[in-house]
Amino acid sequence: MTTIQNIDAARHDLLVILRHAPHGSAWLREGLEVALVAAAFGKRVALMFQADGVYALMAGQQAGALGQKGTHPQIAMLEMYDIETLWVSEEALLQRGLEPDDLMLPVTLLDSRTLAHVTRENPYTLVF
Amino acid sequence: MTSRSPDTHRPLSYALLVHGAPYGHQAALSALRFARALAQRGHRVATVFFYHDGVHNASTLMSPPQDELSLQAGWRELHAQQGSALLVCVAAGLRRGLLDEAEAARHGKPAANVEPPFELTGLGQLVDAMFSHDRLLTFAP
Amino acid sequence: MILHLINRAPQHPAVYQALAESFSKGDHVLLIEDACYAALPGRQDVLAPFAGAVSALEEDLVSRGLRKRVGDSLEVVDMAGFVSLTELYSRSLSWF
Repeated sequence: MTTIQNIDAARHDLLVILRHAPHGSAWLREGLEVALVAAAFGKRVALMFQADGVYALMAGQQAGALGQKGTHPQIAMLEMYDIETLWVSEEALLQRGLEPDDLMLPVTLLDSRTLAHVTRENPYTLVF
Repeated sequence: MTSRSPDTHRPLSYALLVHGAPYGHQAALSALRFARALAQRGHRVATVFFYHDGVHNASTLMSPPQDELSLQAGWRELHAQQGSALLVCVAAGLRRGLLDEAEAARHGKPAANVEPPFELTGLGQLVDAMFSHDRLLTFAP
Repeated sequence: MILHLINRAPQHPAVYQALAESFSKGDHVLLIEDACYAALPGRQDVLAPFAGAVSALEEDLVSRGLRKRVGDSLEVVDMAGFVSLTELYSRSLSWF
């Protein structure tokens, strides 16, 4: 498990909190869109996955029926947009019976105390 | 408690992010209600950004019954009174059928339903609003 | 310090849990819309992590018939009070 050693590393221009699973609603897709646009405008962006948002990172996702686009192509683009800080609520992951190996990208797990600290340190935060 | 008075009361500029569709959820009403209360405290809503299902608030075709508040009129009044920019995410709007005349022409559609003071705009404007205003509040369904 | 707005009824505990994860001492929670049902004495378990730091919006309580049923542990604020909270807390996060 990885934890944040240096809390200064927590500060970004924008933090986007994602709490919704893919496919079932547009929340995740439209939240990621804000993150990508902000990054394209040169902002340093961090993502935090809480609650069902951790399902955004599940390996093996595909497009849905009738060509419904998934969010995995957006997740795959994060690195190209220099969005490299991916924080995941450790509790949310555990509650859902998942482990970091189940996810499509390497992430940083945060215990709830660190998660609150990270939220506090990022004055510009949007919740989706 | 009715209101707290901070020692230094200075006018603040607010951005409101509205995710809720009109008449489907309370979110748009809550945002408009909050915007009116802000004015009474000397503050101003500089920007309302409509995203997610909130883009439907921009439709000029909304036709609520006479005994219900017209959200369309409410947003226009806010623009008139506080000079608030009414920004609609163009990507979220086009998908959901919110088009101004230029977009309707571009996409070969028979009608447009977004008119000034509502403006179709990119998400970059939301990012700008976050950084350039004193406060950002989100009203979601 | 952060003003957390929450609008979901207590039948959605995962929303309260996500808020709790992001909550720090000194933050404040304002119950609006359907979150006002969490102000009822029998429904306040979801508010335990925020004890002493919770308000509820008066007009959303009144419209739901809850105004006189609010537990003592909560502060009730009117719209002007809501605005004041956003003056006091320079940041706000919405949980929905």
